[in-house]
Amino acid sequence: MKTPRLLSLVALASLVGCASTPKPAPTTEAPPPTTEAPAPEAPIQKASTPPTEVPAVPLKQPKPLELVVLARPDTPIVTFRLVFHSGSIDDPKGKEGLTALTATLMAEGGTQKLTSAQLLETLFPMAAELEVATDKEFTTFSGRVHKDFLPRYLELFTDVLLAPRLDPAELERLRANAISDVENGLRSANDEGLGKVALDALIYEGHPYAHYTGGTVQGLKAITLDDVKAHAQRVFTQDRLVVGLAGAVDDGLKDSLLSRLGGLPASGAPRVTLPTVASTAGRTVIIQKQTLSTAVSMGYVNPVRRGDADFFPLAFALSHLGEHRQSIGLLFTELREKRGLNYGDYAYAEHFIEDPGTTYNRTNIARTQQDLTVWIRPVEPANGMFATRGAVFYLEQLVNEPIPQERFDLMRGFLQGYSRLWEQTDPRRLGYAIDSLFYGTPNYLDQYRQALTKMTPQSVQEVLRRRLHPSALSFAFVTQDAEGLANALRTSPPSPITYASDKTPELLEVDKAIVPFKLPVRADAVTIIPAQSFMEK
Amino acid sequence: MRRLLPLLLLLLGTALPALAQPQAASQAFPYTLQTEKLANGLTVVRVPYPSQGIVSYVTVVRVGSRNEVEAGKTGFAHFFEHMMFKGTKRHPEGERERILGTFGFDDNAFTTDDITLYYSYGPSAGLPFLIDIEADRFRNLEYSEPSFRTEALAVLGEYHKNAAAPYLKMEEALNAAAFTKHTYRHTTLGFYDDIKAMPEAYQYSRDFFERWYTPDNTMLFIVGDFDDAQVMKLVREHYGPWDRKTASIQVPKEPPQNQPRTAHVDWPQPTQPRMVLAWHTPAASANTSDSALQTVLVAYLVGPTSPAYKQLVLDKQLVEAIGSDYVEHRDPHLFSLTATLKNEKDRDRVRLALLQEVSRLAAGKVDAARVKAIQDNARYGALMALQTPRDVGIQLGWYAGILGTPDGLQRQLGNLAKVTPAQLSEFAKRHLKATNLTLLSLTPKVSDAGGTK
Repeated sequence: MKTPRLLSLVALASLVGCASTPKPAPTTEAPPPTTEAPAPEAPIQKASTPPTEVPAVPLKQPKPLELVVLARPDTPIVTFRLVFHSGSIDDPKGKEGLTALTATLMAEGGTQKLTSAQLLETLFPMAAELEVATDKEFTTFSGRVHKDFLPRYLELFTDVLLAPRLDPAELERLRANAISDVENGLRSANDEGLGKVALDALIYEGHPYAHYTGGTVQGLKAITLDDVKAHAQRVFTQDRLVVGLAGAVDDGLKDSLLSRLGGLPASGAPRVTLPTVASTAGRTVIIQKQTLSTAVSMGYVNPVRRGDADFFPLAFALSHLGEHRQSIGLLFTELREKRGLNYGDYAYAEHFIEDPGTTYNRTNIARTQQDLTVWIRPVEPANGMFATRGAVFYLEQLVNEPIPQERFDLMRGFLQGYSRLWEQTDPRRLGYAIDSLFYGTPNYLDQYRQALTKMTPQSVQEVLRRRLHPSALSFAFVTQDAEGLANALRTSPPSPITYASDKTPELLEVDKAIVPFKLPVRADAVTIIPAQSFMEK
Repeated sequence: MRRLLPLLLLLLGTALPALAQPQAASQAFPYTLQTEKLANGLTVVRVPYPSQGIVSYVTVVRVGSRNEVEAGKTGFAHFFEHMMFKGTKRHPEGERERILGTFGFDDNAFTTDDITLYYSYGPSAGLPFLIDIEADRFRNLEYSEPSFRTEALAVLGEYHKNAAAPYLKMEEALNAAAFTKHTYRHTTLGFYDDIKAMPEAYQYSRDFFERWYTPDNTMLFIVGDFDDAQVMKLVREHYGPWDRKTASIQVPKEPPQNQPRTAHVDWPQPTQPRMVLAWHTPAASANTSDSALQTVLVAYLVGPTSPAYKQLVLDKQLVEAIGSDYVEHRDPHLFSLTATLKNEKDRDRVRLALLQEVSRLAAGKVDAARVKAIQDNARYGALMALQTPRDVGIQLGWYAGILGTPDGLQRQLGNLAKVTPAQLSEFAKRHLKATNLTLLSLTPKVSDAGGTK
């Protein structure tokens, strides 16, 4: 784990853009996006009721040591991506954090031949990368190296998996870091991240997804070195592994990598059977801590995932509502740009974790049971209710009204181009190819772009009426005056707002609907948790 | 937040060609730069990159919080960066979104102490529209006061978001202690009171634009897959009439520091105790190796193969992390060593261990093999870091903006390759001395954690 820097803050700006209000025609016409003849429109059905539960339909299982290769001749860099279908769901009860801690100890703690310090010294002059990331269901060991160092690197990279040092002192160091990550990081220094993890814990209550991937304080304290040794053998096995190689790859490399990985245990622990998730519609958790503002996350567990015929239209609509850190989103335009409520507002059709250094979703965080979420970056506490109402108002509008054609065409063009940025590097291209094996969605991004050409406002809205459910939302807040917010949520008084500058009549008209908007919150299901006890066990 | 820039970059080549010639690719920086300066002073650099129809378009303006010399107007360079997205007469607010959005550009910007960098990254097919709309906003930005007032609130939201972690407060406290006169005394976000007063400063924001958003203060980098002749034709046509001249201001010089200084932050929530040791050091400059020296120094003193890392992080486990917040600056700034402690009681021990490494170096005890390994890491790190046209454009823009020359990145790479052990020792002796040190401490102060007063 690296410590964030005290650097001059890099600050991101954005612009205004909205298709919901008429604007003068552009003086330069961008080329219209190509569209195929739309399918005949089905009559719009009534909005359907949300499902009361989401069963676990297993992901596909690639064959043991399935190999994905994306070789290209024009780079001297080799990219490795070993993706295990093992994650925090494999943590034993009472040992939450075991998978992540085991993976980190393997990647950072040295090998049988090299101490952790020697491993660093060996990798350093190569500027080689060797990293690990654990999510709910997947753990990814990734590496990049210049081909000048390939033989030596290959040995190190595979030794990390086959012959990790699992040194007791390194376990203590990394355990202390992991506990600090919960106590000082998650609970204390990152209100936005805390809100997201709190929402996860709420909507997946009682499910193996519920605990923080990095572990709970008591779970991490309970882990022994023997637990780690046994767990590595149980979950980092051939039958759970997909092997990705990209860049300067030849047959020799493929053969030697596969032959070495043949030294992993063939199989280990039985797969965790994920339970059905019961709806938590209307429930709210408020994490109380000292803070200047109020962070808001909302969402629900969603049966629609990649591979489902309805996923692409849903993904399209949620991008229109709020593509991550892109100012083109409707929520961004309405809540940040026009009303100045906060720094950004985004929406996601599947679980989203920002890939560091980009605005794109990480790859290889696939989930059997996906979630659909909306993220409101911190707002002034006085505007917490208004911002939350605003977000749900626009989510509901998506169900009730088709996206206007001009806006629809704009977003379609946007995603045709922007989605190409998601696959500009070898690690990301490999990541998509590997995710496709588990979701059963070959050429996923090409398929998405193809599907975009066939969608219409009507066909998308028809899907939204069946598959988008504002009434299914649960809410997570991080704020100081938790009691005050809880009372407001329970009694739902209007939340009027004053602005620093004049607003258009159109905007004020919309506000009349937002101010008294009935949030789908159950007054009897608002819980307050002090930050200091969150993810304790 | 992590820096976008990798810590170390290095070039194999030694002598650099003159600017007017295309700068050839080398093994470590395998790209060719074509540079042209328009009559109005705008520098335009094109870099072919095999990205199959993708391009990055980076504009760097040499203005940052360093330029905020008027009292009460801190944070304006950053706020103004936000306003740059608010439209013109010809492309009113919202139209940029529609035009660039149609192509799917990732369109954003960031501000630092010294520069403001704008980037658009997306399909080359959108370039003609992008050049038009970019030139128009840099020449003719126009926004309303209500729009300005609303955006000030988004900036306040940004401050609040960043205030949740200790880093912003630490930077504020360190800068206030280390700088008495220079504008580096405030952070890029600006003083909190100034941010809250921003909605009232509409006219000042207009002046700010006239003052700094000028062709002779701006460099443009276009990286990716495009037709150079066609692009240059459009660039000349759209940017050619831009005709303002940059203002000159006096940024107050920081007087030398002759006494050790301290600063302390009590943090009212659970967090790790922290420490920053910061010394005043020379500016990054195109004509000295000071920036390259400090970059190597970070890795030498606290990098993953340093004795301090091995001792404090791995063996004794007294700290969670050690590092540095060194960032290249246009004017003399700070070289720092940072430590995230596990326990308050080890504070002195950790500080002395870090200072001992500095003393050793200043006394001439330099491990030449480690210096070489750092330079190897830099050479390969440069190649590893440049994975997309966006990476290349931002790296080029960053070093060009800081060093004031379009080939700033290559100069930095060249200088990194030439750093010698003796230079490192000499630099430490000259600058990293007790009288020039500001020591910042942070202690959690919550009811059950026994913080200091």
